[in-house]
Amino acid sequence: MKRTAVLLPAVALAIAMGLSGCDIGGSAAPAADVEQLAPGADVTGSIIFWHGYGEDGAEVKTLTDVVIPAFEKLHPGVTVTPVQIPPGDMHQKLVTAAAAGSLPDIIRADIVTVPELAKLGTLVPLSQAMPDFQDFADTMYPGPLETNRYGDDYWGLPLDTNTKVVIYSEQGLEADGLDAVPATLDELKDAAENSKDGTYAFAEGGAGGWNLLPYIWSNGGDITDPDYTTADGYLNGPKSVEAIQMLVDLYKDGKLPGIILGGTGTGTWDGVPSGEYVSMVDGPWAMPVLQGAHPEVDFKTAPMFSGDGGSIGVVGGEDLVLTSQSENKPLAAEFLRYMLSKDAQLAMGEVGQLSAQSTLADDMSNLQPYYADFLTQLETAKPRPVTPQWAKIDDIFAKQIQLAFQGTISVQDALDEAVAQIDPLLAQG
Amino acid sequence: MRAHPGWAVVRFIVVAVGAVFMIAPFLIMISTSLEPNTSILPSPPHFFPQEVTLDNYVRAITENNFGGYFLNSLFVSVATTVATVAISAMTAFAFARFDFRFKNVVFSLLLAGLMIPGIVIIVPQFILAKNLGMVDSLWGLVFFYTAGQIAFTTFLLRAFFERVPHELDEAMTVDGAGIVRKFVGLYIPLARPALATAAVFSFLGGWDEYVWALTVITDPLKRTLPLGIAAFQGAHTTAWGLVFAASVVAVLPVVIVYVAGQKHFIAGIAAGAVK
Repeated sequence: MKRTAVLLPAVALAIAMGLSGCDIGGSAAPAADVEQLAPGADVTGSIIFWHGYGEDGAEVKTLTDVVIPAFEKLHPGVTVTPVQIPPGDMHQKLVTAAAAGSLPDIIRADIVTVPELAKLGTLVPLSQAMPDFQDFADTMYPGPLETNRYGDDYWGLPLDTNTKVVIYSEQGLEADGLDAVPATLDELKDAAENSKDGTYAFAEGGAGGWNLLPYIWSNGGDITDPDYTTADGYLNGPKSVEAIQMLVDLYKDGKLPGIILGGTGTGTWDGVPSGEYVSMVDGPWAMPVLQGAHPEVDFKTAPMFSGDGGSIGVVGGEDLVLTSQSENKPLAAEFLRYMLSKDAQLAMGEVGQLSAQSTLADDMSNLQPYYADFLTQLETAKPRPVTPQWAKIDDIFAKQIQLAFQGTISVQDALDEAVAQIDPLLAQG
Repeated sequence: MRAHPGWAVVRFIVVAVGAVFMIAPFLIMISTSLEPNTSILPSPPHFFPQEVTLDNYVRAITENNFGGYFLNSLFVSVATTVATVAISAMTAFAFARFDFRFKNVVFSLLLAGLMIPGIVIIVPQFILAKNLGMVDSLWGLVFFYTAGQIAFTTFLLRAFFERVPHELDEAMTVDGAGIVRKFVGLYIPLARPALATAAVFSFLGGWDEYVWALTVITDPLKRTLPLGIAAFQGAHTTAWGLVFAASVVAVLPVVIVYVAGQKHFIAGIAAGAVK
């Protein structure tokens, strides 16, 4: 029997609601004069750092055994307390903590939550507070840096990044009788239509923005204007519709596996190794897992299928943000700088965290040869619309796409409807 | 009238199919926990391990302060159970055997709390916890778990207390027994099956709870088991071997509590059903 485990009697609820009324909503836009956080300041005391590095594997160990001790050695007497939050629940934890004013000093936040936290007034505008902000910004790939922009300011700096490229195997190509993995969307369509029975040229594991925006962008379409004020003429524009139409047509012909709608079927991480799927579009984390599980298969990477818009991937990763509640911002800022230093970036790079600094691309590729294709893709990769409304927009997008795949409505109608629902959200900012 | 013997076969098949469906996830969990750790779950799932190793158990238990999480969960669940059952038994007794103004209104208010999904009030509740100094504290978890469970447990026990025959109550009055003696000497012993049921629900509620613990607990030393297990899930990959090995260990006390209390448990449910 499943009940909601935590429930207060109605009376206490009423009290709680009353209290919340006083506490939330106080802090809005940043104060006129922002505390300046100069580099090299004399720092003391302690800070708390929330992150979502995986507890299994080497990420947490490298952070706690290598990176943080090195920082504490540089600044004797200071303490950084790392706290692991499960990544899937980080958002909920952040929102409740923001409402109650109990955020930590510094957070490794998923890129899509930064504008939301900035809008809540919980973050320090780094572009105002850090005199050396621009020096850091200049080293970054444009896509990851953009994820920190909200209004006129930047509210964080990219700590690590990733994007998706085409992952395939020679064995898979052979099984489907292909000489090379498709390079363009046209070649992809061709390969998919002519794939042998029981095999597919490619598979997609979902219908959200993370999955389908690369197809739209690469085809020359977009989801919103560059300033995220409207989706009209972008998401429902001819190039976006064409990209989705291609996928829908393949799906209806049985040439695109049903897992795109979350249906049953072989997952991409099983289908690519077995040769059922020739290719998938996935992130760098897939490579060590696939190679570890299938040492007999030779996995390779290639750029995202290109079209009129080029070969455009989608930016993932995490940003470092400082909270306005922090009582030790100078130390938090110094720690942020250290996390972006070459030492720290390479240490985390060894355990799978790609640096967002294009200046470190060669060092990163030296750590892991398979990083190279991801880093090249990052040069042009785009972020999902950088707006506090993204989570809602993504839901609308995925739902309308699903209707189009199911054939209930045409692709054009589905995307028109999505635009009609998305534009009011964008207007709220 | 005797049932046709064919029905026994049909009944057996239906129950067997149901049992297979219930047991399958457990088999997959145990099987995965015994196989070498992987980020890819086998597809189709293995009901029996193909390559047996205890590696996941060793890692899950030794690497992440698992013993500490286990003790935290045990403390929180036991304290919640004791507090919930004690408070709810007294509350239910009052509702069952006393008449006072607004009794039904108060009882309805209590039940109204059950109708509100927990996630809706999580932010105000968190602010309340913060103002009470109960954030990042195991006692804080006990307090809120108990508060959350009193309504349901009271509801369960009230029905039971009301069925205690008035004649017994009156006989004790004639013997000169006061309220407290009646409660301890008559109502509590008679309600043992219901109390056992309430205790099992309470224990499970504290043992399994995740969302509230996630929200208020930040200090890694104060994590409960569900939080410790969730930490094995990364942003893009999950150490399934470790997750399932830890889950098997976490599920053992639940199975023990359930099996030990099974007799009372079923009696309690049946009793609550007929009023």
